[in-house]
Amino acid sequence: MRTSHLLSKTRLAGLLLALAVLWLGAEVSHSAEEKQVSVYAPQTSYRLAVVERERREYVGLVALLEPLGTVSASTAGTEWTVRWNGVEARFTEGKSKGKIRGKKVDLSAPLVVENGRPLVPLHSLAMLLSRFLDTRVDVHEAARRVFIGNTGTRFTTELKQGNPPALVLSFSAPVSPAISTEGGRLKMVFARDPVVSAAENFSFQDKTISTLTYDESRGTAELTVSGSAPLLASFSNGGRTITVSVAPTQPAHAQTPPPVPSGGPPASQSPGKAVAPSGQGSEAPAELPRSRYLVVVDASHGGNERGAELGKGIAEKDVTLAFARRIRTELQNRGITTVMVRDGDTALALQQRAEMANAAHAALFLTIHAGTMGSGVRVYSSMLPPSAAASVAFLPWETAQARYVDSSHAMADGITLQLGRRRVPAESLEAPVRPLNNIAAAAVAIEVNVPASDPRAFHSPNFQLNVAGAVADAVLAARTRQEASR
Amino acid sequence: MIPRHAQITIALLLVGACILGFYVLNEKHKAEEQQRLVADTRPVTPPVAGTPQRVVLVIAYDGEGVLRRREATVVLPEDRALRAREVLRALLNEYVKKPSPHPLAEGSDIKDVYLFQGNLAVIDTTAAFADAHRSGIYVESLTIASMVDTLAANVPGITRVKILVEGKERETLAGHADLMSFYDVATVRELVKEMQ
Repeated sequence: MRTSHLLSKTRLAGLLLALAVLWLGAEVSHSAEEKQVSVYAPQTSYRLAVVERERREYVGLVALLEPLGTVSASTAGTEWTVRWNGVEARFTEGKSKGKIRGKKVDLSAPLVVENGRPLVPLHSLAMLLSRFLDTRVDVHEAARRVFIGNTGTRFTTELKQGNPPALVLSFSAPVSPAISTEGGRLKMVFARDPVVSAAENFSFQDKTISTLTYDESRGTAELTVSGSAPLLASFSNGGRTITVSVAPTQPAHAQTPPPVPSGGPPASQSPGKAVAPSGQGSEAPAELPRSRYLVVVDASHGGNERGAELGKGIAEKDVTLAFARRIRTELQNRGITTVMVRDGDTALALQQRAEMANAAHAALFLTIHAGTMGSGVRVYSSMLPPSAAASVAFLPWETAQARYVDSSHAMADGITLQLGRRRVPAESLEAPVRPLNNIAAAAVAIEVNVPASDPRAFHSPNFQLNVAGAVADAVLAARTRQEASR
Repeated sequence: MIPRHAQITIALLLVGACILGFYVLNEKHKAEEQQRLVADTRPVTPPVAGTPQRVVLVIAYDGEGVLRRREATVVLPEDRALRAREVLRALLNEYVKKPSPHPLAEGSDIKDVYLFQGNLAVIDTTAAFADAHRSGIYVESLTIASMVDTLAANVPGITRVKILVEGKERETLAGHADLMSFYDVATVRELVKEMQ
């Protein structure tokens, strides 16, 4: 009896200790998390650090106004004068009363000065901004989101019935979310876009795509689509439309998809004009069992990022897009599922391109470039040494390619061989081309070159067709080898 | 009514005045440019205490798209890190001067080279080196290979190289060549062989 009493006391103490540790851990992680508030204005959107002083949340007044116009701050003792686009405000350190445009204002807490910067309470942002800007300001305080003027981006949903169905999200302005997928869930995080919604849950009478939920917190908005199958997002209409559809299926005997590299940001898909796998329905005329073999074709550069100037006003970004489209057509003609990273004049970061290939579990990543050093084609693969490491769940971002580098070299050699057969001068090289090292699949960069004196040769249909045909032949041969070896 | 000969004289005088004006303007620009060059105090070759030594520079030639080894005499200090910096400065000097086999923008320079554990070299370059570099896989690869192999050829023991711009990491040199990675000297040597 006594022993059991002692035991229960020990258990209770242990339980209390565990709870204390958990509470402490939660507190530490909570305080370690950097709090930010997102401000969306018609001309810009930005994020500000939120600091906690005496259990109240504060933001820097100058940092708040700076992206919206010309701001200056001066101090005389504890008196602060802040001028924004000719509007004058006066505050006193340690006091909550002040004046903006000569009219009295009450802050929800006293003005704090830290490192020579005046800090104002987060709770007073709506009042302060509306007085300074003389416009309507909405603050979603719990989510730490501030909307100046009529900046909210709204969206409509439409479930297109079919086999498989597709969910079309139409936004009132272009959006650029980070997208991640996990099983039948696809999450879109809008950090810079002022996406708002009156409803939080959307249900669809469909088993494949069943719900869409909206949530906003910590300065971002999130849309999560849930379904019964892996989902894929594609962008169109200049970033105003996102179509969520079922990802290409993978038969049971197909190769295990490569792990997504870690160490960088979470895997996400391109927010640009990426397109969904086209040619999903095309069947390859082969006797061998068909497995999932997805090729991601990346037309390098785009948007403001023109790439190399190739002469006579020709930008690398336009040449790469033309060749990428031609390669996609040739691949589809051979029954190979192909995704274009961009199919329009869209600017995408190199990291986003790699993320898209990794999130799609591509079998091959082809990035297309153009130059005027020599003539013909150079096919580049990574310079990383091969890694024989066993299959792991996570790969380092900067060396994700190491496990696939042998396949990449083989692919580069295969493309060079096929180009040679079509009498296109070609060589394969190992070179430091970004983002090859971040791709968790076979990856090569294809650089098409014409002499600087004749940049219009890039537009030659014969040249484009020869290059695209050779690339597609090499990819088809690689896929056939892969299936035969299985 | 102005007599015809007077009209011709006035026209000739006007033409003469215009020509003289252009000439004076041109001379003024020349003088300003000379003054600017004199006032430009940026060190082209920094003062280094050391002895003149023969070094090997791996130079890129854009015309042929190749790398070639060339010997040069450079004043080198004893310290390995300073030696590495001077060798690379001598290489970039070849690219900055006109005419250049592989043109780099004015102001392209090496700020410093740091050596870690004897085998890792971190090269800190100026902003102009990357900001104004020509864009293209091959042209950027020529620059990287030329720098890494020149460094390895003259400072024995270096096996890995990292390139920074103004003390910070940059994703690419000019949109193509990866600056986030550490370059393995042996692998770069293979690339150099392909480019010779």
